[in-house]
Amino acid sequence: MSAIEETKREISVGAPTRTRARVSPLNWLLNLLSSVRFGVMMLVVLAAFSMIGMLVEQQNVEGFERNFANLTPATKLLFGTLGFFDIYHAWYFNLTLLILSLNIVLASIDRFPGAWQYVRRPKFDVQPVWLAKQPSSTTLKLKGESRSAVAQQIAAAAKRVGLKAVITEKGNRTFVFTQKGAWNRLGAYFVHVALLTIFTGGFLTTQFGRTGTMQLRPGTNANQMKEVAYQIVDDQLSPSQVVYPLPFTVECTDIQQKLIKQDGPITADNTIDWLTKINIKDETGTHEALVHLNRPFDYRGYRFFQASFTPLGQARTITLRVTPEQGGEPQDVTIPRDGATTLKDGTHVEFADFYPEFKVGGSKTDTEEGVYNNPAAELKVTPPGGTPTKAYAFNPTMAESAPFAKRPVAGYTWRLVDFEKVPAYHFLSIQHDPGSSVFYLGGAMLALALASVFFFSHQRIWAVVEEAQGADSYEVLLGGNTNRNLFALEDTFKKLTAAITGRPVEVDES
Amino acid sequence: MSDVLKSPADFRTPHFDASAWSLKSYLPAALPVLGALLLLLLRVQLGGAHFIDDGALMMLALACYLTAATFHLLNLYAPSNMAQRLGLWLGSLGVFFNLASWLVRWVASRDREIDIFIRQGKSLTELPWFFRYIPFANLYDLSLAFAFGAGITTMLIAGRKSYRFLGALSLPLAALILVLARFIGDEFINLPPVLDSYWRPIHVGIASLSYGVALVCFAAAVIYLLKDGVKTEAMAIWASIFSLLVIGTIGGRFGSFLIFTTGRYAASTVLRGSRMSFPLRVNIPFVGPLLILAALLLAGTIFFFLRYVYKEDSAGRLWGHRLLRASLVVQLLAIIVLVVQVKTVTQIGPCPAEAHFTTRCFEPSQYEGFGTWLAEQQKLTPEQIKALGPAQMITAAKGFVEQNGSALTLSFNANPVELASLITAVAALFFVILFSFKTEKLRMALPSAEKLDSLMYKTASVAFAGLAMLLITGAIWANESWGRYWGWDSKETGAFVAWLTYGGFLHARISRGLTGRRAAYFAVVAFLLVIFTYLGVSYLLPGLHSYA
Repeated sequence: MSAIEETKREISVGAPTRTRARVSPLNWLLNLLSSVRFGVMMLVVLAAFSMIGMLVEQQNVEGFERNFANLTPATKLLFGTLGFFDIYHAWYFNLTLLILSLNIVLASIDRFPGAWQYVRRPKFDVQPVWLAKQPSSTTLKLKGESRSAVAQQIAAAAKRVGLKAVITEKGNRTFVFTQKGAWNRLGAYFVHVALLTIFTGGFLTTQFGRTGTMQLRPGTNANQMKEVAYQIVDDQLSPSQVVYPLPFTVECTDIQQKLIKQDGPITADNTIDWLTKINIKDETGTHEALVHLNRPFDYRGYRFFQASFTPLGQARTITLRVTPEQGGEPQDVTIPRDGATTLKDGTHVEFADFYPEFKVGGSKTDTEEGVYNNPAAELKVTPPGGTPTKAYAFNPTMAESAPFAKRPVAGYTWRLVDFEKVPAYHFLSIQHDPGSSVFYLGGAMLALALASVFFFSHQRIWAVVEEAQGADSYEVLLGGNTNRNLFALEDTFKKLTAAITGRPVEVDES
Repeated sequence: MSDVLKSPADFRTPHFDASAWSLKSYLPAALPVLGALLLLLLRVQLGGAHFIDDGALMMLALACYLTAATFHLLNLYAPSNMAQRLGLWLGSLGVFFNLASWLVRWVASRDREIDIFIRQGKSLTELPWFFRYIPFANLYDLSLAFAFGAGITTMLIAGRKSYRFLGALSLPLAALILVLARFIGDEFINLPPVLDSYWRPIHVGIASLSYGVALVCFAAAVIYLLKDGVKTEAMAIWASIFSLLVIGTIGGRFGSFLIFTTGRYAASTVLRGSRMSFPLRVNIPFVGPLLILAALLLAGTIFFFLRYVYKEDSAGRLWGHRLLRASLVVQLLAIIVLVVQVKTVTQIGPCPAEAHFTTRCFEPSQYEGFGTWLAEQQKLTPEQIKALGPAQMITAAKGFVEQNGSALTLSFNANPVELASLITAVAALFFVILFSFKTEKLRMALPSAEKLDSLMYKTASVAFAGLAMLLITGAIWANESWGRYWGWDSKETGAFVAWLTYGGFLHARISRGLTGRRAAYFAVVAFLLVIFTYLGVSYLLPGLHSYA
């Protein structure tokens, strides 16, 4: 009997023969919901809906707005009415998941008793006719003291190849039943329990999960997160912002972008990492945290992720070469973003602003690509006892070529000799998801269950020992089957045969 | 009944030590892995300057896979131990080159960043961890690993003599993946920061191995269908439909059937030294008409074979085969013409008003669309583009062409999926034609349907478990990086749909009315979905996985 037939039989054990006559609607429905065939159909339906969601751009995908605008009104109307732009939240999608879950539960309940029989009540004796038809079978002619002694020897050989053996007698036959991995019969149910746990996690996330973002730069505070939601109203995409309050305040103290090429732009493909330092303040005090790529931070059920950045060039620190107007040694000073320093003579210098591409005339140009074509720092300089004055520190090229750049301010000439590139803002993504731990639990269970199901199998081998012609001669019919992995059964069978006969057998022969 | 023991045995003889069972059957899989690791050590010791590079190793793998498949096919039609052994060990050699290529690429990627650090004057102590350079950064890397997954799975199965035939189908498929990799191009990229995670080797490694197992499952399913008595003519109908779809969808925007409506095939352009392909397509003379002819022949093939399959029309069978072979020849010719013209192009420009049909040039009517694409690349919103108007788009496109015209060129790297699809379509037709030759003899040479079903089940269950792990590790990584474990991103959904389909296969196999052939169809469809996830999502659909 093949693995297929075996499983079919298993199904027939669990699912009694149904007759057409007098089946109540409820039973009909339960029979339908617990049928594997119906489950396969639901899998196909779920796959089809998922494919639609893949092929029709979903409204939460970046760039949806642009592609939506290119659709014809008829397409917008049809897809919008059918819920294709947000199919994964459509009622019929959720209903399919629900029915599939129900099918998994009912089909498992229906078939579990049949599978449990393999563990609780193994079939110790079999008919030789049936045994000879099994995927692996052979007849051996053996010599021994007695039928029982031969059976004992077979059982010992089975033990050597990792099979548990039970010897029974019926009439003039002795049966040696050997098996391993009987628990594998229940593996599929563990898989189903794991899947239901994952579905539960997903349900909790959908119902109670919250996700939002927070825009930060050093010195800013936030006590709420924001999420953009889209709705299609009259064939038009209507974005709206949803704000979720947080039970704490987040203060940004520093942001940093680690670049591959220091002289390159602050684009994603030139970046090793983005780092955001924050202080989280609540009634329990202040808690420092560092959030960077692939290194989230957890606090009170909320998880902070490094999400994105605004690619407008800024400087995390600037290094200035300050030369006294009256002559003297220049001094180099480094000032952090929004920071200040004091020169030897008491002049107070504040780092007020940064221009990645300085334009003469005072207008500030933002370089969207994050390039630094003509960097300059704006300073607020306050001499001892004097009033604050605005000064610009230009890069050496600009400072040499433009006369106004050489002009001293507050008794000094200012040169921007170095700076550390950083974007204007970082975005942190914040997630509050009570379903994720359930989802993880389901994932771990699924991994274990799949390993137990597909990398092991329930192998059963029977030996029927009968007296044969000749002194001390016995005929042994050996046969076995498995619920999966015919290869492994063949190997075990050959090992057992070799162990019984004392002869090595070619592994490849099959 | 297996025939293990033919003569009586005396039980009282000393017993055989079963624990010392031979591991010989695993040598075709184990040796290439050990060899590739040794080669890696050599590469690390000797440096890259005088060492074979990963691209050359990949081409050697490709050659080995194809040669091995030829010997396997030969063995199926004219059984010989020599052909079988050559097929086995050449396949094993292919796996060695395949893995070696991937490993050498790992070291080469690190060497490249060391060079950048040295040029930048940065300290090498700041060099990121070694796993940052593991070659799972783009579709080329994934393709190398995918082909390796298929190769090593084939070798593991080939440990059993009666399953060695599988290489006849799985190794050419692995070779096709490598051909695609060749077209994608092996340039190194700066690793996007989000990929710099230890989850990347775990997640993408599982993906490539699962895809590889899925490929072998597909090969087993096709062979099962053949053994089960599915007519090769029915297979030819499906292969012809696939070829028609390929011809219909290439040469322009996906699904636009441009070849049929314009009669021309146009290939995307690139700037010399750049990897980005432009939607400014150049007419490739003769290819369009040849593909239209091939499509007509395929349509005829489908018509005649349908008559044969449903009405037992033997004349239909005869003509169907003739047209199928003719179509194969014409498609091969079209590919050769295309390759020659891509390789020999020198200058590209707009088509003059009365361009000869043999001129390689682009239609000026593309300016508006190309200008819009350029504007989109500069992050202009649809409203901004609309406000600028079509005239501005045309001006921008013309300006770009005037400025960069001399650098515009044709490249295989600009049209990797189109070229690979054309070659895959030809390969599908080739195999159907081959299966039509002495089909009954071929069926006799194959193991029983039950054993093939078991092989299909084994590989499908590993693919199912692998895809489940892929989804789980992807979910964990996504939760670490993007703040959600599941977001219905195109690639996530693609893998999920393929996984559901393998689930469908496993359950169909135990479901009344769906066993056997119908279950095998699930395995075939599941692999097509895997391929769609692997390629289609990256090239056709938007999403967070657009890099691979």
